[in-house]
Formats: sequence, C-alpha cells, structure tokens
Amino acid sequence: MRLFGLFMLIFIMWIMIMTVSYFLVFIIGPLHINVFYNTTDRLISSIIKASLAIGLVIVLILLLGLLKTKYLQKALLKN
Amino acid sequence: MIYPLDITIYGIIVSAISFLIVFFITPPFIEYLTKKGRVVLDYHKPGKPKVPRPAGPVLLMGIVISEIILYFLISDVKIISVLLTTIIAFIIGYIDDLKTMPGWFKPAALILAAVPIIVLGTHGNYLNLIFDSAFIPILYILLILSIIPIVGNTINSIDVFNGVATGFIIITMIPLLVGVILFSNTDVFLIGLPLLFGCIAMYQYHKYPSKIFLGDSGTLLLGSMYAALSIVGNSEIIGVIALLPAVMNSFLFLSSVKKIVEHRQVKTRPVTICDDFRLMASKDNSAPATLVRLILARGPLSEQEIITRIFILAAFSSLLAIISIAIQYAFMMGKLSL
Repeated sequence: MRLFGLFMLIFIMWIMIMTVSYFLVFIIGPLHINVFYNTTDRLISSIIKASLAIGLVIVLILLLGLLKTKYLQKALLKN
Repeated sequence: MIYPLDITIYGIIVSAISFLIVFFITPPFIEYLTKKGRVVLDYHKPGKPKVPRPAGPVLLMGIVISEIILYFLISDVKIISVLLTTIIAFIIGYIDDLKTMPGWFKPAALILAAVPIIVLGTHGNYLNLIFDSAFIPILYILLILSIIPIVGNTINSIDVFNGVATGFIIITMIPLLVGVILFSNTDVFLIGLPLLFGCIAMYQYHKYPSKIFLGDSGTLLLGSMYAALSIVGNSEIIGVIALLPAVMNSFLFLSSVKKIVEHRQVKTRPVTICDDFRLMASKDNSAPATLVRLILARGPLSEQEIITRIFILAAFSSLLAIISIAIQYAFMMGKLSL
C-alpha cells in the first residue's frame, strides 16, 4: 500500500506528541524543588519546569528531524 | 446561558449565512477577477488554463457577516478576537497576493494576527495536554504568538493542488469542533461553524478542476482562523494532531531548505511533470522534501490521485485527533487514570 509508510510516520508523530504530553503532565508537572524553603522555591521550580518543558519540545523536534531523515532515505533515495 | 434549542437555531443561521454568501458571491467574483485579468496559470493541467485568484475576499465576506450576526445573538468577545485575527491574516495574505513579498514576510507579519487574542484576553492560561492541563500563563502568550504564524503558513504551504486547502480544513474541522464543544463551550463551537460552512461552499469552486484559487489571502485566513479557534477553544493539541500531514509538510520543507523562503524561490522543484501530465517525485537529491514528494516516492500519480491521498492522510490524522479527544475526555471525567 502506497500510503502505509506515511500512515506509520503520522502515527509515530502522534505517539511522540502523546508521550511528550505524558511527561509534561506526570513527570515535569508535579516536580517541586526545595532550596531555600521559602517563596523563592516556587519561582525556581517554575523556571526549572519551564526549561525542562522547552527542552522536551526541542528533543521532540530533533527526534522528528531524525525520523524524517530516516524515512526520506528509505522512501526517496532507494527509489 | 444558551439553551440547546437556541444553539441549534443559531448554528443553522450562521452556517447557512456563511454557506450561502460564499456559494452565491463566488461565481460573479470569478467573472470580476477574470475581467480584471487577475488570473494565474494552472501548471498541472494540459494547456495550462488561466484560473482567477484570489478567493480570499469572498471567504472573508461570508465569515465576517455571519460572525457579526452571531455577535448580535450571543455577544461573546471571543467572536471579536477570532474575527480580528482572521481579518489581519487576510490583509497580510492579500498584500502578498498583490505584490510578492520576501519569504520572512508572512510568518513575521502573522505574529500581529495573534495580538487580538492576547489583548482581548480570550485565551485561557491552561494548556490542555490530553492527560491533564498545565498552568502556563507566560509561556502560553509565547505559544499564541507562534501558533498563529505556524498554522497560517502550514495551510498556505499545503495548498499546492486544486481544492486541497479547503478540503483539508473541512476534514480537520470535524475533530476541532468536537474538541471545542467538549473542552470549551458552545460559543466557540458556533464561532467555528462559519469557517466550516464557508469552506464547504468554496470547495464547490476550488475542487478539481479549480474555477478559482484561494491565493495567500484565502489560505492565511483559513489557517489563522483555525489556529484562533483552537486557542480560544482550549483544543490546541487536538488541532495540531488533526493538522499533522500539513505540519509534516512544513517541517519537511523547512528542514530540507534550512531557511524560511517562498516556495517559488526554491530553484529545484520537489516534483516534475511527466509528458502525460502525471506528477513524479524529483530524483534530484537537492530538491526539497515535501509531503507530495513522499506521496510520489513510489511512482507518478495524476493530480486528482494526489489530492485524494492528501485527503486520506487528513482523515487519518483527524481520526487520531478524535482518539486523543476520547482519551482526554476519559481522563477529564475520571474514567481513566495513570
């Protein structure tokens, strides 16, 4: 089937989005860091959470780029 | 509070107005554009017929009139913010229709289209992440400023064949409207109906063989309104999933040319036209990767066959979006937990 490869590519992209959502909600979301044991800790936690979330999205984009390269090599160059 | 009967009546009114305006104004507008000589060549057909462009003004007319009527019925400020975003995106596209602007113009200018949503405060502070939502008031603003240009340009870049942009929006609006009614409110659902029915009416003229092309004004209007609806309707991730084939197309193109450029500025074309007017993937390694090039990787296809395949992919991603909605709804109702 001509579109099977593209269906798989879209499906993998969907799985990756769901995985990132899972990490953001269940791993990064509840994270709380206590350094000074005062209100500053909330700010530090927020900065760390935001940095981790942005980092995770960057990892997602890099993985998508890798996936794209692999798929292109398989689909285009072999033909 | 709006009662279910009122929602049905308002929904029918705004849908009918948008559909009828676009359906009946487009034929005289096609004549007007042809008389004025505002036509472009359709390179994918024998004889390269001249097709009038742009259809954006008619689409805008249908949407604006029905949204104004809706505002008189439900008086929700979200209507104003979505409408202003749509109008700004249309103006940016129309400038590009009149005069070819550099590649950076559309993405950069579309940031302006996101401003009404932020200024009028019609966005939420929580990002729905399928399993739960995250409170990100500052990051969310940055997200809005990037979502509108990305989605606007994404729909713009997928509109390479007859009827693709309108057909694609019709298919992907279904999960978005389902998401909006479950995770936001009925007002946003009603705001989305003129876009869906305007597209259904326009598709009658835009489908293969096209009697009119949307132009940048039409595609940016569609993409930006879709993005605005997903933001004010708390369904951003659902929208992204439904648009995955188009997102993939933009991502493939950007990561292969490594900079923001107009498609017409790319020297090596991703597809070539055979003698029988079927299209074939370029064998040149330096040609940009696009969704169409991948569809054609296993051999040449006619324009109609490519369009059908793009719609099949849109239907597949919309199905994944509906599965995501079901998962999100189950988590929201406490029927699923991890």
